[in-house]
Amino acid sequence: MAVTLFWRHARARLEVLRAARPSSRSDRPGARARRELSHVLGQRKLFQKAAPGVMHAFIFWGFLVLLPTIVEAMLAAIDRRWTLPYLGHVAWFAFLQDLFATLVVVGVAIGFAIRKIQRPDRFRGSHMEEADRILLTILGIVTTLLLWNASRIALGIAGHPAGAPIADALSALFGGGRGTQVAERVLVWSHLLLVLGFLTYLPRSKHLHIITAAPNVYLATNHPRGYLEPLRIDLETTDADVRLGASVATDLSRKQVLDLFSCTECGRCQEVCPAWNTGKALSPKLLIMDLRDQVAKEAPLITAGAAGIVELQPLVPNAVADQVVWDCVTCGACVRECPVDIEHIDTIIDLRRNLVMAESRFPREAEARLRGVETYENPWGQPASARTDWTASVEDIRVLQPGDPPPEVLFWVGCAGAFDERAQKTTRSIARLLAAAGIDFAILGPRERCTGDPARRMGHEYLFQMLAEANVETLNGAGVTKVVASCAHCFNTLANEYPDYGGTYEVVHHTELLSALVAEGRLRPDPAGGRGSVTYHDACYLGRHNGRYDAPRDVLRAAGAAAVEMPRRRERSFCCGAGGARMWMEETEGTRINDTRFAEAEATGAETVATACPYCFVMLDDAAKAKGSAVRVADVATLLAESTLAEPDG
Amino acid sequence: MARAWVYAEVTPDGPHPAALELLTHARSFDEAPAAIALGPGATAAATELGAYGAASVYASDDPVFAEHPGRPAAHVLAGLIEDEPTEVVLFAQTYDSRDVAGRLQGCTGSALMGNATSITDPRHARAEIFGGTKIVDVELAGPAPTLILLRPKSIVAEPTGGIARVVPLEADVLEEVRGARIVERHEEATSGPRLEDAKVVLAGGRGLGGPDAFAILDELANEIGGAAVGASRAAVDAGWVPYSYQIGQTGKTVKPEVYLAAGISGALQHIVGMKGAKRIVAINKDADAPLLAMADLGVVGDLFQVLPALMEEIRRRKGS
Amino acid sequence: MNVVVCAKLVPTGTPTLGPDHLVVRSGVDGTLDPGDEYGLELALQLTEQHGGDVTVVSMGPDEAGQALQRALAMGASRGVLVSDPSLRGADALVTARVLAAAIATTAFDLVVAGVESTDGYTGTVPVTVAELLGIASVTAVRRLEPSDTGARIERMTERGYDVYECPLPAVVTVTAGAVEPRYPSLKGIMQAKQKPVDRPSLQDLGVSDTTVTQIVTAVTDTPTKAGGEIVQGDEAVGRIADLLAEAKAI
Ligand SMILES: Cc1cc2nc3c(=O)[nH]c(=O)nc-3n(C[C@H](O)[C@H](O)[C@H](O)COP(=O)(O)OP(=O)(O)OC[C@H]3O[C@@H](n4cnc5c(N)ncnc54)[C@H](O)[C@@H]3O)c2cc1C
Ligand SMILES: Cc1cc2nc3c(=O)[nH]c(=O)nc-3n(C[C@H](O)[C@H](O)[C@H](O)COP(=O)(O)OP(=O)(O)OC[C@H]3O[C@@H](n4cnc5c(N)ncnc54)[C@H](O)[C@@H]3O)c2cc1C
Ligand code: SF4
Ligand code: SF4
Repeated sequence: MAVTLFWRHARARLEVLRAARPSSRSDRPGARARRELSHVLGQRKLFQKAAPGVMHAFIFWGFLVLLPTIVEAMLAAIDRRWTLPYLGHVAWFAFLQDLFATLVVVGVAIGFAIRKIQRPDRFRGSHMEEADRILLTILGIVTTLLLWNASRIALGIAGHPAGAPIADALSALFGGGRGTQVAERVLVWSHLLLVLGFLTYLPRSKHLHIITAAPNVYLATNHPRGYLEPLRIDLETTDADVRLGASVATDLSRKQVLDLFSCTECGRCQEVCPAWNTGKALSPKLLIMDLRDQVAKEAPLITAGAAGIVELQPLVPNAVADQVVWDCVTCGACVRECPVDIEHIDTIIDLRRNLVMAESRFPREAEARLRGVETYENPWGQPASARTDWTASVEDIRVLQPGDPPPEVLFWVGCAGAFDERAQKTTRSIARLLAAAGIDFAILGPRERCTGDPARRMGHEYLFQMLAEANVETLNGAGVTKVVASCAHCFNTLANEYPDYGGTYEVVHHTELLSALVAEGRLRPDPAGGRGSVTYHDACYLGRHNGRYDAPRDVLRAAGAAAVEMPRRRERSFCCGAGGARMWMEETEGTRINDTRFAEAEATGAETVATACPYCFVMLDDAAKAKGSAVRVADVATLLAESTLAEPDG
Repeated sequence: MARAWVYAEVTPDGPHPAALELLTHARSFDEAPAAIALGPGATAAATELGAYGAASVYASDDPVFAEHPGRPAAHVLAGLIEDEPTEVVLFAQTYDSRDVAGRLQGCTGSALMGNATSITDPRHARAEIFGGTKIVDVELAGPAPTLILLRPKSIVAEPTGGIARVVPLEADVLEEVRGARIVERHEEATSGPRLEDAKVVLAGGRGLGGPDAFAILDELANEIGGAAVGASRAAVDAGWVPYSYQIGQTGKTVKPEVYLAAGISGALQHIVGMKGAKRIVAINKDADAPLLAMADLGVVGDLFQVLPALMEEIRRRKGS
Repeated sequence: MNVVVCAKLVPTGTPTLGPDHLVVRSGVDGTLDPGDEYGLELALQLTEQHGGDVTVVSMGPDEAGQALQRALAMGASRGVLVSDPSLRGADALVTARVLAAAIATTAFDLVVAGVESTDGYTGTVPVTVAELLGIASVTAVRRLEPSDTGARIERMTERGYDVYECPLPAVVTVTAGAVEPRYPSLKGIMQAKQKPVDRPSLQDLGVSDTTVTQIVTAVTDTPTKAGGEIVQGDEAVGRIADLLAEAKAI
């Protein structure tokens, strides 16, 4: 009966999954299997937090080991003398059983300690009672097991009492007579009933993750985290019902639905989320839970609708409010922390796509930027001819004309690098350093367009697609093979997303190229000049999204900077607040993300905050100015130029 | 009959100042231009029109012209033209006169030229186009009279001290061609214009140092009239003015005739919101501030000296 | 209420004049005149509230189809595009004749246009259209509501606004800022492709006279403005006041 109940609930979930859009997540099975080993069996991401990691690993490994025990208990429930064919007779298994049952008890104890004594904030909004109930059930399952084993030892029917020291010790509780015989029956049946009860409860609770986590981890993306899956849009199609992102539950992909069913409500994502941490409405955990609740509520409709049309409620604003969708800076901290590889960003972007492309509903101040990208191919609506304005004070910058031989490296300046007065400083530093190192490079000048990142992160996939196609045509037409980008967002888009549009180049970030040039001796900074103490801010789209942590630090060291690190750094860096097209939206709720981050940088006591992305630069520089701080904000390239060149900036 | 007619807008207080400029201009190719004045106050305006060179003034005080702007005036003009052909009718480039001219063109089928800055003769005029970057000389063909709209303040009105002959006109406007009727008039002079609509925007930045300095901008805006006060994000973030004042990337976009920035450095995030302004004035004590470089008039100086002095100067000029 | 909206294609960047002294329009990136988006928005809101359809009428080169598509994407139901080589260099009168003839082929209660276009800014075309159609007009409108006798309209004035009672049909021009034009959704853009666009010939419209009466004979660059000047000290105040005076602000 328990099995039927379990099946009924599980099937409802399965059918919702089946009704969802298929996800194509089957490439590189080897990589997927390896991830399975490390994230699931190895519990790697859980160990990102020590105590909760140990707690979960004990319980998880415990259950893996104890799985055969359930069969053993079933056999013994029928006839006390029956046991597992081989395992029931070997001492090592008895030992494992004993050990892991005990570890589970320890795990549960840690779990309760965290929940009841430590009470971390990450659980705000999670279902606490449900979690308690589950922990108690687990505790029940293993204590009945231990006691059952003890009673068997007392009765002398256990295979290897010596292998199970804990149960052996507990066996002293039992007299061994008639009472023990009854106790043994009661214990084995309670054990089994608890197990079966757990099974029926499972599909309706957050503990469904026991089943969904493994496939969810398997189906996680193999791309760098900064990559977004394209949504191909063909305007010529006559299909009026074409999907433009996620409007209702059935617009979600299978992986997205599985994400929802996999959430353990652990709140690790919430704890690191810059939006949540600065008082915004968004919590990645609550977002996932709220979406899950709506999908679960609509499950009967969804499965019925597989045959016909049903009226599903739009996910926004029914499950999540509009503001929540716009609060995200796509920093990826949540995705990185999530132990079951939930991909929050992809879902958020899909919700945005629907809001922008289907409903034209988004923060008004961003509209002028979208229009700018549309009409002038840059968010600030500057004329294309102004893209070379920064070259006025730099000698001999080659602007690649159609038909020119391709340069060794194409310097992708980016819109900020070309138009923003502050970012232009970085651009000039890079150009001067490349020239000093004798690199054959050129820029596209007026032929460069916005990469489309701002439009894409806003959810305007079509605008992105047009820009990507146009840029790829220009780059391919010019025979470009290697690109250096100074903006972390351009870098990510060019490197990870343009291949989908036929543009495959060797893309490096300027800090990587500069670090290589220093290593090769083609740039010779004078470390004696000393750049004072510098703290480096990891840009999300360079660091966490693309794993580039060391090159900028190497450059700084070569430039003679004394490095001081912020508490949140490298893969755990905290966003500057500009990603995810937040650069184009006003930040009105809570405190500013850039102010929060700048305060952290300032607290290190460093004289300079080094950045490697123009967005971070402007964000942190603004925060510094707002605070009237004496701390300088500068790009890594500018600091290197100051240690290397006679005339770093004119 | 005169070669040139001037359509003179009238108010109960007298002729529109632009009408006097038109007469002055018309005299450069016609010694004795005529003026057409329609609506309450028309007859009374004839004296001043005459003093600025109108040899004759065709006038009607009929309220129909004030109650139904545009259409009746155009029809009366069309009737006059039929009776007494002329070579050119001059209009001021104002909303009201422009409406009359456009209507009249529909009746006469003659050439119309807008935004003229000077007129050589009834068939030749000159205009600035594309935001004043190009000057075009234009020849007007087609049936007489040509219709030319002259930008107000293109020239200075010069009196002749003459006296006009007043020709009373019968307003004979059929009910069905009167068109829209004004039923209420509202003046909103007290509250300033919206930031987005203001002809002049005075914006303050971090250099203002605090909310008090914004009072100087408010006062200056009042003095100028038709001006609104805006701010950079730095000033908004500091809490000196509300978010509704913010101009720029995540604030409002403004395109005024004059944009005056005080204590604003000119970050790109600010510039996107105001680069469409016709004329940009920047006051900054730092000669390297980016906004100075893009300003039509960059003032290197302390805003706490420049702004009060400017206020004095404006008061002085208005007073004289 | 059925509304006709006049919408013009204007060059994206600063317009340029060709050797024939006419604005270069074909092969130049163009957009729906931003000034016309206000009128269109007002028209859409009116029909959304009171029923009826919005038809967009444009005269221009083939590229003007882009402006129409944008207008259709924002929500207009159908388009009329008048494109004829003989209309190149059309002046205000010819434009008004063509627009009036095209409008006359539709059943309408209201015609909405911009106060003045972004590239030509003559600002007379809409009233001339009204005259040719023999109907009432109100320019510089910031609000419009249907009333018993037609429409109750608020028109901007120098000092505030006047309220008009206007019989329908009528032509109105809508000021920038009167409403907030919507940003067309991609769904709208896709649906726009299915919407009908008529392309009547001048013959269909019965327009035979396309003689241009306004001929540009010479073009010169404005002597570079005083712009880009940096001044210091006492001189500054006088210069700012001069500039304000030049802009007719004081
Ligand atoms: C996501 C994002 C969105 C943004 N959106 C906007 C936006 O919409 N609008 C906007 O404006 N900014 C915006 N910014 C902020 C922008 O980057 C700049 O920080 C801001 O515009 C600077 O304001 P400011 O010029 O007033 O201040 P500052 O840059 O500090 O400049 C103050 C200036 O005042 C001058 N000064 C000081 N005292 C005097 C004096 N007594 N007399 C004369 N001059 C003096 C100084 O020399 C200096 O040049 C945004 C930034 C980000 C990151
Ligand atoms: C700088 C410049 C100055 C010019 N000056 C003159 C002039 O003085 N006299 C003259 O006869 N011609 C002039 N022209 C030619 C002018 O382009 C035509 O007259 C044009 O067809 C209408 O003028 P406009 O855009 O100025 O109309 P406006 O009267 O400014 O237009 C107001 C509104 O009418 C509607 N409208 C106008 N044109 C169209 C169209 N083609 N399709 C649909 N709707 C439309 C729009 O809603 C627009 O917002 C000028 C052109 C230029 C570029
Ligand atoms: S990507 Fe960053 S901002 Fe967005 S939900 Fe995740 S942690 Fe929060
Ligand atoms: S999304 Fe992941 S990290 Fe966030 S609560 Fe759910 S399981 Fe935990």
